[in-house]
Amino acid sequence: MRRRQPAGRPARGLEYLFPAAAAAGGLFTLAILAFLLVFGFPLLVDGRLAGLLLSPWEPDRGLFGIYPMALASLLLALSALVIGVPLSLGTSCVISTLAGPGLRRFLMHGVRLMAAIPTVVYSFAALFLLVPLMRRLLGAGSGLGLLTAAPVLALLVSPTMIIFFTNSFNRVERQVLLAADALGATGPQKLLFVILPAAWPGILNGMLLGFGRAMGDTMVSLMLAGNSPVVPGSVVDPARTLTAHIALVMAADFDSMEFRSVFVCGLVLYAMTGLLMLCFRLVAALGRRTRHERPA
Amino acid sequence: MNGLPEKLLTIFSWLALSALAAALVFLLGFLWMRGLPTLGPELLFGHTPPLDALLFRQQVFDGLFPAVCGTLLLVLLSMLLALPLGIPAGIYMAEYAGGRLRRLFNLFFDILAGIPSIVIGLAGLSLTIFLHRVFPGRVAPSLLVSGLALAMLVLPYLIRTTQTALEQVDPLLRATAPALGASRLQNILRVLLPSALPDITGGIILATARCAEDTAVIMLTGAVASAGLPGSLLDRYEALPFTIYTISAQYGSPEELAVGFGAAVLLLFLCMGLLLAALGVQRRLSVLLLYR
Amino acid sequence: MKTDSQRTKIRTRDLCFFHGRRQVLDRVNVELAANRITVITGPSGSGKSTFLMVLNRLWEEYGRCSLSGRVEMEMDGRMVEIHDPAVDLSGLRRRVGMVFQQPNPLPMSIFRNVAFPLKLIHVRDRDRIRRAVHSALERVHLWQEVKDRLHEDGRSLSGGQQQRLCLARALVLRPEVLLLDEPTSSLDPAAAAAIEELLLELKSTCTLVVVSHYHDQIRRIADQRFTVVNGRFSAD
Repeated sequence: MRRRQPAGRPARGLEYLFPAAAAAGGLFTLAILAFLLVFGFPLLVDGRLAGLLLSPWEPDRGLFGIYPMALASLLLALSALVIGVPLSLGTSCVISTLAGPGLRRFLMHGVRLMAAIPTVVYSFAALFLLVPLMRRLLGAGSGLGLLTAAPVLALLVSPTMIIFFTNSFNRVERQVLLAADALGATGPQKLLFVILPAAWPGILNGMLLGFGRAMGDTMVSLMLAGNSPVVPGSVVDPARTLTAHIALVMAADFDSMEFRSVFVCGLVLYAMTGLLMLCFRLVAALGRRTRHERPA
Repeated sequence: MNGLPEKLLTIFSWLALSALAAALVFLLGFLWMRGLPTLGPELLFGHTPPLDALLFRQQVFDGLFPAVCGTLLLVLLSMLLALPLGIPAGIYMAEYAGGRLRRLFNLFFDILAGIPSIVIGLAGLSLTIFLHRVFPGRVAPSLLVSGLALAMLVLPYLIRTTQTALEQVDPLLRATAPALGASRLQNILRVLLPSALPDITGGIILATARCAEDTAVIMLTGAVASAGLPGSLLDRYEALPFTIYTISAQYGSPEELAVGFGAAVLLLFLCMGLLLAALGVQRRLSVLLLYR
Repeated sequence: MKTDSQRTKIRTRDLCFFHGRRQVLDRVNVELAANRITVITGPSGSGKSTFLMVLNRLWEEYGRCSLSGRVEMEMDGRMVEIHDPAVDLSGLRRRVGMVFQQPNPLPMSIFRNVAFPLKLIHVRDRDRIRRAVHSALERVHLWQEVKDRLHEDGRSLSGGQQQRLCLARALVLRPEVLLLDEPTSSLDPAAAAAIEELLLELKSTCTLVVVSHYHDQIRRIADQRFTVVNGRFSAD
């Protein structure tokens, strides 16, 4: 006998608006990519893509490589994570398990407030507080560099990671937590032996999220990392990230190769976003799969 | 030996929290100390009498008034552009989209959400250049372009907020109106949207804060250090975050630097205020809905 | 020849219902008499609520379901297949009212709750609305209790009152069929008895299909009874 599926009802007037709006949104995502490609085209087509990505930035010698900037972005983001992830994990442990209910609520509100602080405000304050400090500590240099920017960046991305980690911790299945409680596990024991192992997809994804945010931020590196377009020799050297590069080269002539290099930066950042997105989904899927295979 | 890992974890976690809190207190405390003394009418209006400035009778050259106005206009413009797209798209994702189409859109919107803001600004700049070639002399980085770009920035956030808010409506409530003969559109407009309104409104306010604080996008699409009040949508303009950046890079005197601190504190208040408003609205609307 | 009291209101032929790949209803062939109370009973999970949702096509609001077979309802003197494309879905649901197991007042005042179906069909005459609300609340014997607080939120009522409110709301458009999914299971005995009285009164104007697993209740109100086990119906 023929099977009936739910009868779709014809869309009326206003209902056409909804998919149209979604389609427009999707189109914008593609349009951004398109603009970047079109404008970066000459540089890409010249077959110098490898050269671009690997050579240094020396415009007077005709080299428009973004390698130093890409490296700086990576180094800065990773440094920020090295500082930020442990701090965020620890804070999440406190918020989800170790703190009492009053403190928990206060901390959650605090973290949310922290997330609302604009990056330019962080950078401004750090510029006049941290940079002179760095100058005195190191005894030399301008005080601007990776070492100055990394902690501030860590502070910037921490609230996002904290919220994400805390949510993952809280979503560990109740039955498992109840079992641990019934067996007399203390808070820290629950964290160590139950929650942290179970929440690993969330922890991984939180780190990916933080990494994405760190790579994508402009103001911290622009204002604090010094803006020297050469490969940094050490963490105290100044460096220029991809994002800062885009902001700085703006002033150049629109048709020059110098200017077009920023579009390659943009494409690299766009590609990084896509890549992170895929990893994010992969981790989530892996997490779901292992959960299914655990005995009920 | 017993309990050492747990003890270490506990100590480390509390230390981590303290370190974060301390860093925050230091930075914000410093900002507060340097910025609080500058708060006052001179911060906004400089040497121009406030009343004249507010009535646009006189220009303000050494105050934050043009930047504050610029930010407000910018926020208004971008929200006006983003809301008519974001909310319906969110409704579509929650109520109409299914299967492959839904996953496709999810991917697109996730990517859009992850694009660094400077790249969005770059796209805005390229749009400007492109339009400049097509309509020579008429299109340039301006309030309009920034508004468009900022709208792109917050669009994915609005979509996801609306989508999540709708998906969290109680399934029983969701089936009530259809059982009474309501069409899908009627169900959405009369029951689902009103029920999801507190969360959606909270999301809108947070999106507003995002527009107000962003620097990277507006740097590339029309914000300048001094332009006075924008005469039209196609003019350049000043904005608070950009002013903060410019002052940090090129301040000429301690007074100018002080203005920078004042501006930073002002922006901080603005964004915090919006956040608190969002939380408050969410709570209050939920309560209101409970007793309509 | 069928007399008036044995007229069939609803008839199903080889009705099968699937949720994904799982079969929930298996070749249901029943005839439900008009103006009678038909009770559907059986162990939990056997498909009773699903059967109700077939009758007003509410299953279509949930994904991944499909059905086969015929479901016919008497409308304006003729037996009509309710899945026929010519049938207006909203119209069907206005003829076939539903009361859920959990009371589900909308987040609005008592008055607006009952008036809601009228709003859906764009009735604007305030007098007509007021009279219809009054009449519906009277039919469920709720009027006296709420007449002074019609503008209070519907959720501020007690469980039994809420259920009667939902019943009033379902009745305001004068449906021909009323579907009730365990209408008294979340109520105390006194409230439950009041609802049962109501159902017996409503027989004269409606055909009622009630899911219940209270044997006493079934004994008291059922004219016709079906037991469902694993999706198969058997008459008693």
